[in-house]
Amino acid sequence: MSVVDPGPRAEDPGIQWQRPSRLLLRARRIQAGLVTVPVALGAGIIAGAAGSRELGLGLGLGLLLAGLLGERFLARRVAAWGYAERRDDLMVRRGVLIRRLSVIPYGRMQFIDVTAGPVERSLGLATLRMHTAAAASDARIPGLDGAVAAKLRDQLASLGEAQAAGL
Amino acid sequence: MTGPEPGAPPGIPGPPGIPGPPGIPGPPSIPGPPGIPGPPGRAGRPEDIATWHRLHPLSPLVRTGRHFMGLGVLVILLLFANQRPSGSDLVIDLVTVAFLLSAGVISWLVTRWQVVGGVLRIDTGLLRRDSRRFPLSQVQAIDVVQTGLARVLGLAELRLRMAGADSSGGRLACLPLAHAEQLRQRLLSMAQAAGAATPAAGAATPAAGAATPAAGAATPAAGYLEQHAPPGRLLFRLRSERLAGAIALSRTGAYAGAVIAAVVSIVALARSPAVVGYLLPVAFGVVLAVWRQFNGEYGTAVSAAPEGLRLRSGLVQTTAETIRPGRVQAVRLVEPLLWRAFGWCRLEVDVAGPRQRRENRSEAQRLRALIPVGSRADAEEMLGELLAAPPSPSRPAPPNARWKAPLVYHFLAWDSDDRYVVASRGRVCRKTSWVPLEKVQSIRWVQGPVQRRLGLASVRLDVAGRRVTASIADRDVAEAQEILGRLPDLARAARGGSHFASGGTGDGTGDGTRASGRDGTRDGTRASGRDGSEGMVNRG
Repeated sequence: MSVVDPGPRAEDPGIQWQRPSRLLLRARRIQAGLVTVPVALGAGIIAGAAGSRELGLGLGLGLLLAGLLGERFLARRVAAWGYAERRDDLMVRRGVLIRRLSVIPYGRMQFIDVTAGPVERSLGLATLRMHTAAAASDARIPGLDGAVAAKLRDQLASLGEAQAAGL
Repeated sequence: MTGPEPGAPPGIPGPPGIPGPPGIPGPPSIPGPPGIPGPPGRAGRPEDIATWHRLHPLSPLVRTGRHFMGLGVLVILLLFANQRPSGSDLVIDLVTVAFLLSAGVISWLVTRWQVVGGVLRIDTGLLRRDSRRFPLSQVQAIDVVQTGLARVLGLAELRLRMAGADSSGGRLACLPLAHAEQLRQRLLSMAQAAGAATPAAGAATPAAGAATPAAGAATPAAGYLEQHAPPGRLLFRLRSERLAGAIALSRTGAYAGAVIAAVVSIVALARSPAVVGYLLPVAFGVVLAVWRQFNGEYGTAVSAAPEGLRLRSGLVQTTAETIRPGRVQAVRLVEPLLWRAFGWCRLEVDVAGPRQRRENRSEAQRLRALIPVGSRADAEEMLGELLAAPPSPSRPAPPNARWKAPLVYHFLAWDSDDRYVVASRGRVCRKTSWVPLEKVQSIRWVQGPVQRRLGLASVRLDVAGRRVTASIADRDVAEAQEILGRLPDLARAARGGSHFASGGTGDGTGDGTRASGRDGTRDGTRASGRDGSEGMVNRG
């Protein structure tokens, strides 16, 4: 039982992995903070009011600490994202604990979404999402620079049109 | 963003497959008020489908029949709860029924349909005009459904299934049964003609016309359930006593048994009839589930016809369905533990279509069973009919997988040739899925933490169907890597090959799919205006 760990990111020389923008890590940190701080505050206040003051303080600080610990994993998760445009298909990889790699033929793309939430938008980022006719194939690339996302979108759309295949 | 691009106009149904001059419907559709469709033609005389038709006058009754049933149950429950019938409740119920009926009648008055140039067009709506067009070249399947009430009245509903994932497709409810059958024949042959090349369309249409009377003769108005076999070469017919046994031994049957046992024991222990009231809904639901399965699968008969596999089933509500060749996204063979003792199995097909219909959700979630229960030999014969020389799962999982999936390991296997991938799994309920490589939408490589420790990985193939994804689970990393490297090329070769191999269907589906992906069912041309005239001018 040897630990084989090349994973899907076995460095195939033919594949050039592209990475999302560096700002994605900052976006994720902001999002995590926006969730953690209010939750910690709320839980602390409620516990402080209902129980003792020490309990509330402990709970709030504990939740904050948990958020800070979680932040350490964010960097690895963000680093795990990658995509590669090959001749006939797009590959997207992600995940640290559960690693995933999706291969989506250009001809199978039905439509492409570009979305940007408020945090992403403030940093000029966007998420690209590709839809095929299969509901299970969920491929997205978060944290793309806005211009890159638009370029990739147009490129994928034209490639998809050129290779479109029936159901 | 890139749904229907201008480059690929949505409705390329190409040649006007039918002889009816498409320009004609202009004049009759000019009168403004929506309720007056020019020469109304008798309700559904199928000879000249190019003119406007109305649905059968009794259809409002059938369509509200379901509400009647619901109301009846509600009234009975209320009577139980109140212990005495109160007049005002009854009045409210009657008003509701009258309201529903009048709504149904209005809806009938303003609904009409026609088939012109290979496109089925359904106009409906009083205030909000709604004009839908269904290009027949993109029809996945056409069903004829008869609810219980409709069978009594000799009516049937025609359902078009399109590939879009979000809509219920076209419905013509209701037509006289014989007309529905004939119309289905004609629409299917037109669909095939529209899919074929231009010269073939002209040739196919007269042939279809010739086929129609034959089909009409084969299905007399008496109803097709009585004479079970759909036209064509009979492949399979369900034995009803076996269905009863199979349901009793299935999960549904187990739930039903458990619930009934629980109800009986609680009543015996509590000795008060009031407890039953609380349990009634649960028992009702369980009985309904068993009944629905029995009703839906009773008398399933499958036969091969030129336009595809024809399927008929149902006890009270009967369904006739045609699965066009080349539209099967996946095939699944299910063998539950208890069934294996009898050598029984179940063969299901997955066809692209709406993920969940609004009504009949449980029905839509289940896959269509070509063989609800049958012997292994039945299943293999049907499989041979659906797929050409399918491989059997012959490559077992590596020994390491035993640690991750000690039970499932027994049946964990896969194989592929250059056209199909097959994968089997499940210990209690063994499931074997076949996926044609040309239908694969995307390929996923997944590795969880336990798998990583053991040096394993899974590869999943997604298809456009409702539920089946072939999962090649727990392979050695090297093998998974190799699969991942090889399958995309194989799938591409299979896709490219299909255009040459099966010219007609392959091309036909290929044409419009770009445009149809997002909203294939509506085909982008959904003219709905404030009032009737706007929607009609749009047709002009």
